[in-house]
Amino acid sequence: MNRNKNLLLLSSLGVLALLVAAAVQENILKSWRRIQGAARGEAGPVDVRLRQIVVPGLKAADRCVSCHVGMAPGETGIAGPSVVAAHPPVAHDPGEYGCTACHGGQGRATEEADAHGAAPFWPEPMLEARHAYAGCGTCHTHVRVPNEMALERGQRVFERLDCLACHKLDGRGGTLRPGGAGGMEGPDLSRVGAAGAAVDWYEEHLRKAREGADATWKTCFGPTEEDARRDLDVYLASRVGAPGLVEAKALFHTLGCRGCHKVNGVGGDDGPDLTRAGARDPGRTDFTHVPGAPTLANWQAEHLRDPAKIVPGSLMPALGLTEEQVDGLTFYLLSLRKSGFPEAYWPKDRILAERFGEREFAADGATLYGTFCAACHGAQGQGMRYPGMSVAPAVANADFLAVAADEFIAGTVERGRPGRRMPAWGEKEGGLRPQEVRAVVEHLRALGGVAAAEADTEPPHWAEGDAEAGARLYGAYCAGCHGAAGEGADGPALKNRVLLSTATDTYLAQTIARGRRGTSMPGFGNASTVHPALSAEDTEALVRFIRKWENAP
Amino acid sequence: MSEQERSSSALREFARNLRQAPRRFLETVFRHGPPRTDRTRSTFVFGNVFLHLHAARTHRWSLRWTTTLGLGLVTAAAFVITLVTGVLLMFYYKPYPDVAYQSIKDIHFVVPTGLFMRNVHRWAANVMVVAVILHMARVFYTAAYRAPREFNWVIGMGLLVTTLGLSFTGYLLPWDQLAYWAITIGANIAQSPREITDALGITDWADIGGLQRQLLLGSDVVGEEALIRFYLLHVMLLPLLLVALLAVHFWRVRKDGGLARPADADRRLGPPPADAYPVFTEAPRKTYQLAAVVRGRTAAVGNGPEQTVPSMPHLFYAELGVFMLTTLICLALSLWIDAPLKELANPNVPENPAKAPWYFLGLQECVSFSAFMGGVGIPLIVLAGLGLIPYLDREERGTGVWCGGPGGWPLVRWATLFGLAAAIGVEAFAIRCGWLREWFPDIPQLVITFVNPGTLLAALYALFSLFVVRKQNSVRAGALALFTCFLCGFVVLTIIGTYFRGPNWEFFWSPADWPKH
Amino acid sequence: MTAEARAPRSRLDPEPVTRRDVLGLAALWSAITALGFGLIGSLRLPRAAVLSSPSKKFRVTLPDSLPAGQAFVPPGRAVALFRDAAGVYAVSLICTHLGCVVKSTPTGFECPCHGSRFTLDGTVARGPAPQPLPWHKVTGGGGEYVVDEGANVPQGTRLQA
Repeated sequence: MNRNKNLLLLSSLGVLALLVAAAVQENILKSWRRIQGAARGEAGPVDVRLRQIVVPGLKAADRCVSCHVGMAPGETGIAGPSVVAAHPPVAHDPGEYGCTACHGGQGRATEEADAHGAAPFWPEPMLEARHAYAGCGTCHTHVRVPNEMALERGQRVFERLDCLACHKLDGRGGTLRPGGAGGMEGPDLSRVGAAGAAVDWYEEHLRKAREGADATWKTCFGPTEEDARRDLDVYLASRVGAPGLVEAKALFHTLGCRGCHKVNGVGGDDGPDLTRAGARDPGRTDFTHVPGAPTLANWQAEHLRDPAKIVPGSLMPALGLTEEQVDGLTFYLLSLRKSGFPEAYWPKDRILAERFGEREFAADGATLYGTFCAACHGAQGQGMRYPGMSVAPAVANADFLAVAADEFIAGTVERGRPGRRMPAWGEKEGGLRPQEVRAVVEHLRALGGVAAAEADTEPPHWAEGDAEAGARLYGAYCAGCHGAAGEGADGPALKNRVLLSTATDTYLAQTIARGRRGTSMPGFGNASTVHPALSAEDTEALVRFIRKWENAP
Repeated sequence: MSEQERSSSALREFARNLRQAPRRFLETVFRHGPPRTDRTRSTFVFGNVFLHLHAARTHRWSLRWTTTLGLGLVTAAAFVITLVTGVLLMFYYKPYPDVAYQSIKDIHFVVPTGLFMRNVHRWAANVMVVAVILHMARVFYTAAYRAPREFNWVIGMGLLVTTLGLSFTGYLLPWDQLAYWAITIGANIAQSPREITDALGITDWADIGGLQRQLLLGSDVVGEEALIRFYLLHVMLLPLLLVALLAVHFWRVRKDGGLARPADADRRLGPPPADAYPVFTEAPRKTYQLAAVVRGRTAAVGNGPEQTVPSMPHLFYAELGVFMLTTLICLALSLWIDAPLKELANPNVPENPAKAPWYFLGLQECVSFSAFMGGVGIPLIVLAGLGLIPYLDREERGTGVWCGGPGGWPLVRWATLFGLAAAIGVEAFAIRCGWLREWFPDIPQLVITFVNPGTLLAALYALFSLFVVRKQNSVRAGALALFTCFLCGFVVLTIIGTYFRGPNWEFFWSPADWPKH
Repeated sequence: MTAEARAPRSRLDPEPVTRRDVLGLAALWSAITALGFGLIGSLRLPRAAVLSSPSKKFRVTLPDSLPAGQAFVPPGRAVALFRDAAGVYAVSLICTHLGCVVKSTPTGFECPCHGSRFTLDGTVARGPAPQPLPWHKVTGGGGEYVVDEGANVPQGTRLQA
């Protein structure tokens, strides 16, 4: 009897104690209560309650503002610990888009670890502050991004002309005010690429400098050469309010990453599609070989440094990137987090890219080469060979450009080399358009400094000669590099259907006779220490022999 | 009396009634005074709609802690707790894919007391499953299922199944990866009769498995239709069924004469306490009151000494005490461990390993040998066997005593040893050496369906218990052996499924050895 | 009869209270307290801590051709914007009687539910509405405005265009 009473008494007291503990935990210990308790508004302490931004269109209920009180729409003059500070001015009103659309993280959470996404089972952790602008990639697809060199040229012009004297850019500059004290400073150029600059800005500036009332206008602007203005326009068009992101994207389109990887449907197929490389779930990513914190940024950076170390068996070669390049590419990869937001929320650039086929990269040959070719053929077209992979020829070699007609080069780009790494860029999905191929050819000619191939009046097939003799010669001088059956080794494969159907006999003979200076292909027209000079007949015989492979299976 | 006098007296009466209204109100609520005498204590019990399921007096045997360990009460208490917290959670839960997940997140983060309520709900549900199994074991080991309580044991089976069903249907509702893949597997177990119909080539016109799965999911995938069906089952149909069965179960306990007690309970209890009333010392005025409907004498006549005590308050202290103890356990667990919530369900990325709720992991282990046998065949055989126990064991020795009857404790010890050894042995063999498919890749599925580690284990247990029946010459002894074996098998398989199975349902000594992908 | 004198207590007698049942009372009351505390806690649950309504502030672009005195109702919002010579203002379209959305007419607003009528500036003309339609705070300029449904301004407050 008393045992039951004791049971009841003790369990009841226990229940009461636990309920009190739960109540304390819920009503006193929550960190957002502490933070709001320390915050002061314009009219005294702020009212301590859960706060949120609801965006029905994005299905978002972001409670970040429960702690970051000052970032809530309509809150002004909140003072207190740094966490309650106001949001820095940005293009998008947090009240309209919420927080997680740009920053990631778990908007519904009200505890720091959960909200910032560090907790397990939240696939989208918050972007670190240094990568905050990668969040733009959730909706935006910056189009017509030039390559790194073009951006740098533009930036040099921008600095040379001292535009920052009057204009602000990403919070810098704008110290010199035209019109003296109280006059207007120049417009902020941080987002000029998105808003668009006046077409006649140069003429306007010149006119004002000529007619300017005060000395500042007269001294701060003068005539500028046209080339510099073009570079400057490219640079200004890339100022869209995402500092560093466009530079990172330019880097991606300079190092030739799309040669192997597709992004938004454009690029090669050798590597994984990177369209959502920045939205990977860290919970489903292997961090076994990643030193440091298990964050996606860290994974991407380490993977760029040494792919095979992070993903054992990966085919991606170590690219020998500088730390700066690793940082830039990591930044860009993190921005690849395209969301499924309703189309009503799509910005202009994304609509242009996805509905009107606008390219994400600029249409000039240099950028196109940097986008698709540079990873294998080298930034200067000097050719490359990654360990364990076949050689990628030096496509800007002057000897090559002198014997290769534009049609041959364009045909090679378009039809590729079946069976080898070189894809058929003109035929494959996500490849190059005809005018882009032409631009690439032009760029190669510019790189090699050979304006056009030597004129060739011969028919495509003219070589006659003894194929048997050619076979002997091939075995003696060619097989070492090109393989006994022309399958390629240190040198490129010759037994290739597309190569032999696009190459003329002149091309083959000239290549054998001249070689490719600066590569391991010697010119057999002249004798060297390891081979005698081949006569024209020998060359012809070799061409005949090589031709036999054209129709071989 | 003049007209005026009469009206003024009515007014006075009105005033007096108004003054007395509060007291009268209380008197009408509690029709009798404080429960201080045996009679008022009795009226307290049967004058109250919530309490009148109890007898007015309770046998002292029933109040011993070791008689039941309060397990039935723990189960009922856990059910009440899940009911209350579940109804509260329904304020915020939205049964629609993705939205459901968000509403659970809301419950976690912004609903006042929401996380705590969900934790309590989850833990009370788990406590209920554990308690219902232990309660069944208690009834079995004290042989309390014997006449006249046979049917109540069968009702108890129904309650066990309904409890598991409630737990299982609730598993899908958060719509996270854990839920989605556990239910996907569960639904495919429902489809597993196809293993037989396929083998017989009659699936096209007798697709029982497909029908079951379709009825459960309302579609061919786990989607919004499945969620609303599970929601309906979880908050409506199964709770109603459970309450109905529970009512019958309680009522039967009462009508079958309270808790089972040994024939010599009085001797075991010893003399009643000094202040107990002797039986019918005074004015046995109404010994004949039930004579019209009851055959024989009323239970108490001539059965002295008095071994019953008033249910109010003795039984109610115990019941309330167990209820509060159950609450205490649930609350403590809730404050200690949060209910799990993984990432949003993703039909394209299976969890690996995708595990069912822990109490189904024993079944999932069997399912990994044969979907039909593990998911349908063996459970049905076990349930049928359990339901038959009271009809096969009609002996009388040992009723109401722990491990009573032929064999007793030593037999249970041996059966435990055999049950554990057989389960571990068969599992170890299957894990180490593989099974028929690994040795004869062309073997027909039907052979594997009927000859697999699960059925082998069941057969070993059956043979062992037949051996015990022969040896002890007692059906009860065989039942004791079989039940113990199956309990051991359940425990072993559940532990293996919970702790030693990793991705692709492969064996791992520890989750630390799991491959990372 | 002496036997009767020593007869055991009757079942109908109150149990002799030898001592107060402190333990029993304490147990009972602690159980009641615990359950009551739990009940109070759980009663807090239905009152939502945050409401799922979207931000009260929204952006709106007024068409340049909007004539003075004609209401512009942004889609999905219960606010009418007006532009006249003195500036821009926003009038709530939620009837102050029982919350129906009033219909904007050339002469004012009509409530379809109980027949309240309001003039163009929100003043009650007839019907059961107890208060005029409130004016909301408008900020911004140059055709783009931000209306804050959560902030009311005195009738007649216009934003200088």
